[in-house]
Amino acid sequence: MTVSRLAGIALATAGTESSTETSPEVDKLIAALRDEDEIVRTNAWVAAGEVGAPAVGPLADLMLDAQPEVARAAKRALWQVARHSGRPGAESDKAAVVAALLTVLAGERPDAVRREVMWMLSEIGGDESVAPLASLLSTAELREDARMCVERIPGTASLDALKSALDSVPQDFKANIAESLRKRGVEVPEFPSVKLAPSRATSVQAM
Amino acid sequence: MSEVENTMSNRTRKSHTISRRGFLAAAGVAAGFPAIIPSRVFAAEGNPGANERITVAFIGVGGMGNYHLKDMKRFVDSGEVNIAAVCDADENRLRDALQKAGPGVTPYRDYRYILERNDIDAVVISTPDHWHAAQTVHACQTGKHVYVEKPACCTIEEGTAMVAAARDNKRAVQVGSQGRSEHEAYLAHRYLENGVIGRVHTVNCFHYPSPIDENPVPDCEPPQELDWDLWLGPMRWRPYNPRYCHGTFRWIMESGGGQIRDRGAHVMSCAMYWMNADGTAPVSIEATGTPPTRGLWDSCVNIDVTYTFKNPDWTLTWNQPGQPVPKEERTPDEPEITRPGYGAVYHGDNGTFVHWGGDGGTWAERKCREWTPPAGAKEVFKSPGHKEDWFNGIRTGAKTIMNIEAAVGVADLCNLGNLSYLLGRKLEWDGAKRQVIGDEAANRMLGRPQRHPYHL
Repeated sequence: MTVSRLAGIALATAGTESSTETSPEVDKLIAALRDEDEIVRTNAWVAAGEVGAPAVGPLADLMLDAQPEVARAAKRALWQVARHSGRPGAESDKAAVVAALLTVLAGERPDAVRREVMWMLSEIGGDESVAPLASLLSTAELREDARMCVERIPGTASLDALKSALDSVPQDFKANIAESLRKRGVEVPEFPSVKLAPSRATSVQAM
Repeated sequence: MSEVENTMSNRTRKSHTISRRGFLAAAGVAAGFPAIIPSRVFAAEGNPGANERITVAFIGVGGMGNYHLKDMKRFVDSGEVNIAAVCDADENRLRDALQKAGPGVTPYRDYRYILERNDIDAVVISTPDHWHAAQTVHACQTGKHVYVEKPACCTIEEGTAMVAAARDNKRAVQVGSQGRSEHEAYLAHRYLENGVIGRVHTVNCFHYPSPIDENPVPDCEPPQELDWDLWLGPMRWRPYNPRYCHGTFRWIMESGGGQIRDRGAHVMSCAMYWMNADGTAPVSIEATGTPPTRGLWDSCVNIDVTYTFKNPDWTLTWNQPGQPVPKEERTPDEPEITRPGYGAVYHGDNGTFVHWGGDGGTWAERKCREWTPPAGAKEVFKSPGHKEDWFNGIRTGAKTIMNIEAAVGVADLCNLGNLSYLLGRKLEWDGAKRQVIGDEAANRMLGRPQRHPYHL
């Protein structure tokens, strides 16, 4: 198995960060996801949900693997973990997975990994996820994903975060926030919708 | 106010105050648009009159859009339709479409230019599935009638918005599950409606598997001719990948949803129509599936979904691959069954009935085709053709055969089947509230936020 230098560094970091979280189940999952046999990899990610929160950090790191199919299997495994934890009656599992996802979000992983984590939080996160996501509304590369994810989380915490963001975000992003607020049922007279305003001219000439 | 907002504001004012004479000056001459007199200038309540041409534009002109553009020419020739504009985010496709459409047709990259034009009565939307809802909603909100390809939508929330937009704006929407308008579909409907096989209690759909990506490639820069950002539209941004674009979007769960959302929107459309189940919904949905073992595509290769309906009680299953029924032998003078790999078996108290296809090719079993209705038999609606039925809806306000309510009901089946597969659990469904019962995470997945500015 070839592991890229970047992935190797990330995994070494993860080992330090999550040394207390490793378990035989996680090790077994990671090994199976690295397997050269695509059937083994697929069976592993399909069953990853049961492994739960301890797998979150290692899977986020494996998403950086140099082998695209291994990285892809890791991403799908992480989604399984998130979605399985959201099942009815599994509040403690969900809380643990959300906490682990927030740890990944707060870390130094590349935006591509953090963006996936944000969308997972948009599906299962609650009030505890709002502030970490809302803090990314000021991050150029992640702010649009952050806006959509905050919009998706129900409750007053996310609504208040969006209202607050309308004042704090740069001018060129206020219309985005305004649309999220409208979606959440808030009247926003400023920043009228531009959804029907054409903006992309073609170079193709009429005959 | 920004330049864009200012322009928008001016356009809005103009569209609200324009007179007929003003329209002819502004749209026909001064702005250099084709000199097409919009039919609704002369018609009551915004609908073209019976003898007036309907002015149509095409949004998305590859794949099915290309087919619709060519097919629409017969209505141009018969004097029923004008073609005013074509639109695509891919300039190569746009160029090709312009050649096919001929002189006097305006090309656009951005569909919203079409929505601004008051001389256009209706649009044909054949973009990837993830665009169907936003463009349909926007078209209805700007007064256009809509023919939109199937499946109607990718989420429950999108479907709700589409129904509301069509109703609120009194627009005729026809969704491209054209199997309902096929001749042998009419025969099947009449056969089942008359109870020839008794009360139907189970419908088992079969379909060959979704493909696995045999040639995965890394992300890269989009080709020069493609506006990738516009192609993605409401979807969250991601890098371009050649395995995720024209045609292949079908195999990405988020945008295409696999065979169940593609052909499911045909085969299950027939089932809902023939079972008189439009406007109803299952009470539970349970799916299991097999994912692809490699590649970017993530729609499941095989999937089995069971939909349970109550009052009346019946069961619909989507089985991929299920148990395909070999096609029946037909004589040379009978329409050939060219797509036998999908269809459905209807199980009644007194027998079974099979059909193959369910889209533009719908083939009914011989015993149904040869059945002669006795005196007093029930008659069922016979579509004049899927586009003809849409035109009738535009002119008269009559409900189309695959109206948006019915089409969203079918898309719901596809989307809830995929949702149950993704979550790995059974969903108890409240069709009236359009909510999953007792599953907060599932309910959150009934919609997804749109990327700015492509909001519903």
